[in-house]
Amino acid sequence: MDFPSTQFVSSQTMATYEPIHQIGMWGENFKSISNPNISASVIVDVVNKLENESETTSHEMLASSSKHDQEASKPFDKIQRRLAQNREAARKSRLRKKAYVQQLENSRLKLIQLEQELERSRQQGLYVGGGLDTGHLGISGAVNSGIAAFELGYERWMEERNKQICELRSALNAQISDIELRILVESGMSHYFELFRMKSSVAKADVFYVMSGKWKTSAERFFSWIGGFRPSELLKVLVPQIDPLTDQQILDVCNLKQSCQQAEDALSQGMEKLRETVSATLASDQMGQGIYVPQVAMAMEKLEALVRFVNQADHLRQQTLQQMSYILTTRQAARGLLALGEYIQRLQALSTLWANHPRKPA
Amino acid sequence: MAVAGGVRSRLHNFLEGADNGGGRRLVITDSKTSLAKLVVENAVIVFGRRGCCMCHVVNRLLLGHGVNPAVCEVDEEKEEAVLNELSIVNGGGIQFPAVFMGGKLFGGLDRVMSTHITGELVPILKEAGALWL
Repeated sequence: MDFPSTQFVSSQTMATYEPIHQIGMWGENFKSISNPNISASVIVDVVNKLENESETTSHEMLASSSKHDQEASKPFDKIQRRLAQNREAARKSRLRKKAYVQQLENSRLKLIQLEQELERSRQQGLYVGGGLDTGHLGISGAVNSGIAAFELGYERWMEERNKQICELRSALNAQISDIELRILVESGMSHYFELFRMKSSVAKADVFYVMSGKWKTSAERFFSWIGGFRPSELLKVLVPQIDPLTDQQILDVCNLKQSCQQAEDALSQGMEKLRETVSATLASDQMGQGIYVPQVAMAMEKLEALVRFVNQADHLRQQTLQQMSYILTTRQAARGLLALGEYIQRLQALSTLWANHPRKPA
Repeated sequence: MAVAGGVRSRLHNFLEGADNGGGRRLVITDSKTSLAKLVVENAVIVFGRRGCCMCHVVNRLLLGHGVNPAVCEVDEEKEEAVLNELSIVNGGGIQFPAVFMGGKLFGGLDRVMSTHITGELVPILKEAGALWL
């Protein structure tokens, strides 16, 4: 059957509801055709199908309706009522869509506003401090902007990491291919390496900030060792989550754990030596005379080594991650990364819970 | 300040507090001491600034493997001269702490740390003659 093209209305306001409206018009059109029986059954079939379909019905369904012409014919006014209901549903749907689009536009505007505010406050970070001495202002300004930049970056890093954890979880449950899983594992690892780069950068600005772990939650800080987790401790937590391991893997992981512990001990002893050195330098001459500028200056020089310690600790963390990825299969590595992410999430939840739990009066 | 590697002197150094991390301390007493000779004579030798904490870390790591590295603590005044001479020996740039194994430059703390974690350090130590077994 062919429909006169002049009966098709422009789709601008009709959107996905063309078929229904065209049926309405076609209904009128068919009235004028000489053989009402055939045309009525065709309309009924099409309307029945449309009633059962979702709002995004396509045109191809109209074409197939010509195959069915064995239905009992219903009274014409029932068809008209159905058509009217359809029109009403279509109108309501259009209104809903309009409201949704409006909401999206508002959100978009708000997002632009927030981004502008953020940019402004970031720039203001460069001018923080109330000192009149511009030199002093410059240095503390640079440190503050370095820290502010890091904190912003870390927030984004966290969001991305949480997203990756969800992806890993669903990927492991869905049994995706090893190749796809490998991509997730690789991006998870690179994400951690990115954090180490960020930390290295802010350590140059203020190493004590990194050492303090101020950007972390309280429970995470409790486990802190030279600005982050102890690799051997994490291995102890995560390895039981990655079972089953082959005998060779168990051996390799044990060796890795031992190597980590040795490296951690060496770094810890180096830190102890640094503390002794700084302490000895500060107290290197007779105290009690009030003049101590040279001693403090010398101690400052020694303290520079702290940046190297932070970098070495992160280097150790990175090496450990890397080595684990060599020992484990893709699937095991994915489980390991998921367990690590969740462990940190639990630590963060612990921090929040602790902060909010009622305390006994002193 | 023992230069010999006998067991007794090693123990003595260790008990002394091992403030350099535990290696056999060598002190350059005169400028005629050939650094190239030191590098060749010792299976493992670590050059570093006196009192350097990074040097301490390197020494402790090596000691943990059962290696008794020779440690050359360089005074600040001699630092540049030593670095220059070592660069000539090596044929390239040197930074403190610098670890030489089997007569060749091995690297700094970074390399020691990485190879320690991957397990490559022990075979290299054996090859350099610093470890037996």
